[in-house]
Amino acid sequence: MTDTMVELADRRDFVASRRRALAVDLSMALATILAALAVGFIVILAVGHDPLEAYRAMLTGPLQRSTRVGRWLEDATTLTLLGLSVAIPFRARQISLGAEGQLYAGALAAAVVAIFVPLPPVLAVLVPLLVAAVAGGAVGAIPGVLKARLAANEIVATLMLNAIVVRLYDYLLNNQLKQPDSGSVRSANVPAGSALTRLQDWFGVPLGRANLGLLLMLLTALALWLLITRTTLGYRIRMVGSNPDFARYGGIKVPRVIESSFIIGGAVAGLAGAHLLLGVYGRLEPGMAGGLAFEGIVVALLARNNPLVVVAAGFLYSYLRVGGDIMEQQTDVGTEIVVIIQAVIVLLVTARLLPDLLKRRLARKQMAR
Amino acid sequence: MNAAVEVILSTAFLAAVLRVATPYVLAALGGLIAERAGVSNIALEGSMLAAACAGALVSGYSGSTWLGALCGIAAGTLIALLLAVARLNLGADAIIAGIGLNLLASGATAFAVFALLDDKGGTTGLPSGTLPTIHIPLIEDIPVAGDILSGQNLVTYLALLSAPAVAWLLLRTKFGFHLRAVGEMPEAARSVGIRVRRIQFLALALSGALAGLAGIFLSMGYVSFFVRDMTAGRGFIALAAIFLGGLRPWGVFFAALGFGAAEALAVQLGNLDIPPQLVSAIPYAATLVALALNAWRRRSRSDPAASTTQQIAQ
Repeated sequence: MTDTMVELADRRDFVASRRRALAVDLSMALATILAALAVGFIVILAVGHDPLEAYRAMLTGPLQRSTRVGRWLEDATTLTLLGLSVAIPFRARQISLGAEGQLYAGALAAAVVAIFVPLPPVLAVLVPLLVAAVAGGAVGAIPGVLKARLAANEIVATLMLNAIVVRLYDYLLNNQLKQPDSGSVRSANVPAGSALTRLQDWFGVPLGRANLGLLLMLLTALALWLLITRTTLGYRIRMVGSNPDFARYGGIKVPRVIESSFIIGGAVAGLAGAHLLLGVYGRLEPGMAGGLAFEGIVVALLARNNPLVVVAAGFLYSYLRVGGDIMEQQTDVGTEIVVIIQAVIVLLVTARLLPDLLKRRLARKQMAR
Repeated sequence: MNAAVEVILSTAFLAAVLRVATPYVLAALGGLIAERAGVSNIALEGSMLAAACAGALVSGYSGSTWLGALCGIAAGTLIALLLAVARLNLGADAIIAGIGLNLLASGATAFAVFALLDDKGGTTGLPSGTLPTIHIPLIEDIPVAGDILSGQNLVTYLALLSAPAVAWLLLRTKFGFHLRAVGEMPEAARSVGIRVRRIQFLALALSGALAGLAGIFLSMGYVSFFVRDMTAGRGFIALAAIFLGGLRPWGVFFAALGFGAAEALAVQLGNLDIPPQLVSAIPYAATLVALALNAWRRRSRSDPAASTTQQIAQ
């Protein structure tokens, strides 16, 4: 097949524009984090501590020991999966806050299968992962269907489902799934055959609880990026997100697309739950996810819902989290500053303060030319 | 089962319901005002947290309970005003900005407490005041109702009064009429000369003040200290109550009472053989069902033109 010169030029322009968009997204994420760090710097200075010392601990700490690197990789895996899980509905302009419930549903389902169903090798890992994705997707489908078919507020629906699933999780963990001979509330350990291999078994350096889930996360991100940019469904999701009326008149079945975005997001959050269960803890524990689900939203926003950028944002953001803990141990500045930095990031992104500034600068530059 | 019924009918339990429901009622009514003005206030949680912290800190350092309470309410209002600026002046998404402000409140309160008191947990080391409980002279002497209605905290009475007050404000005053018009169709409201942005600013400020009142109840009502992340998701429960109550003042009030009752019940049933987690999940499930039913009713009632074009397009 031979393309005409015009077609070739057209494609070149298209690829270049896509590359430029990726570069802009990446640099925006970086600039936002830097701006937020600057705010944190001023706050630390204002309360009379030494921001340089604190930031040195935070920014160099995570790389100083291999176990800290492991902690970073493990945290970034969960966080990025959660970021990806909301980025997809966000792309269809659906504000899903349901990652928490979907994560616990995924962990719960995977635990039941891994602990109670004897499976041959390989399948012992794959089946719980799959079951977690299905369970997460099922929990995601509920607000999706309610929103798509009945126009019910998805924010409230997802928040309610979080509360319901978390309580159900607590109930099962305290009763049916509780390890009887243990003093604390936790489930039995998943069998060794179901665990995601720890990376330190491969590399021979202590890497804490970092595990094969990292690879799974990277593959998921790549798959979602391909889905969004290269498939019909991805195109429909983007259309519904940018202009639902136009999408409808263009013949796209908007309700179905909205449902799909919720289900895909739920499945990815379910995988995050499976990662915590099979890779990190090896069993169910109360409050396993901490506040990570909401932090996933920050990561998705920071990356402007581009799956590949979500990975970068997840690693960057997780680096700050891990560094914040080290800063707290080594200096008199607490981890709270990281939460403040995080809040500034969210506000900067949603108020679009930086892009507007950038746009104005670019416009001025073009004028000068 | 008899034991459960006994618990529910005891005066101590009913008094506890009012106590537990107080922050829900106040925050939910506050959120309702904002919601009816067309801006979802997800930052209720942050308003409550900021208020709880500012109340305990100011009261502790100044020695004045009332000054603390006032500053608490002001802090709650401030968070809502930040949301107003982000949404109305900078064009931010209200939900995302609300999430950001909740984070900001969580981080800033913990940071402030740690910076001032060198304590990670809260302000337990700082003696601060509590708001008074009130014994109502005549009602106090009524056999059963007296034990429930009298001897509650001042803020609980304010919560009970705020329901008729908000109902009156929204449904009977010119301001409320304008506010609802703004919420339902801002363009139409603007075209008849209503100052949309000003009304939304006021609505958010009011909603922050009510959430602030809910917040100081947590740190200055029955305890006299602030604990890190003390609100523990109460702002989100309030949000649920708004929708369970069908966006109507009295509906929201009773929905918030219902959430309080479920929580109080879950605590009480811990002693019996009924799983508290499942009891406390009931109101959330109810909200989800109510949300779906309301939406379904709205859809089947909505104009047929819109749905047919949709069907044709499909």
